[in-house]
Amino acid sequence: MQRRDFFKKVGAVVAVSAVIPAMSFAADAKKTVSKNAMSYATALNAITGGKTPTASDKVKLKVPEIAENGAVVPVTVNVDSPMTDADYVKAIHILTSKNFNARTIDIHLTPANGEAMFSTRIKLGGTQDVVAVIELSNGEFLIASQSVKVTIGGCG
Amino acid sequence: MSKSLIKIKPKKYKDGEVVKVNFMVMHPMDTGMGKDKKTKEIIPAKYINSVKFEYNGKVITTMNVWESLSVNPVFTTSMKINGAGKLSVTFTDSTGEVNEASIKIKPKG
Repeated sequence: MQRRDFFKKVGAVVAVSAVIPAMSFAADAKKTVSKNAMSYATALNAITGGKTPTASDKVKLKVPEIAENGAVVPVTVNVDSPMTDADYVKAIHILTSKNFNARTIDIHLTPANGEAMFSTRIKLGGTQDVVAVIELSNGEFLIASQSVKVTIGGCG
Repeated sequence: MSKSLIKIKPKKYKDGEVVKVNFMVMHPMDTGMGKDKKTKEIIPAKYINSVKFEYNGKVITTMNVWESLSVNPVFTTSMKINGAGKLSVTFTDSTGEVNEASIKIKPKG
């Protein structure tokens, strides 16, 4: 064996042995997926039951466009509704498009709330859309969404 | 036990007024995906999965919650004042722990 060949072979072995542990580590990291994992499309379908929600300017979704810290992203939803027994907002669903579990929170309201508003703070794993799906008492669905740029992810 | 606090904004309100109810909980909201930095062990999931607001025994708001809410979450919702009484909030987490907090409602004028 020539010296040149020897170094080539040794080099290849070292490279492969360095890659294998890195790959197995990556596979381990993927295993820790929550049993609640749900994609955005499945979540939206589960809420609306196949109906297509309409975009409306009645829904005001307030989320910062750039979130420096993905662990604390303030979200406020306001819906223009009279909140009477005949016409009120039945539920507000907040979804995220790329978190491992798209569903974040469902708020079921009644006319006793007087006003359809909700505010909280959520975690975002990366740059993605925050979506609010509104269910009205007459069975209609409204939707509003906004993309949020996340500098440091906040999940896990 | 998780510490929690209910605040009503504004502090002084009249009968029939719509006020904001601010409900804060001290809770880890662990997703079950994070690791302990020292022991490298996965922290088991522990997050609030339901919240219920009751005003004088009548359920006004219920919430289904999943793990993507921030640590020590804040829930702000609105409520129409309808006489004196009690507002109580019950919340359950994924380990089955149930906690309750309440505040007296005293409208003026």
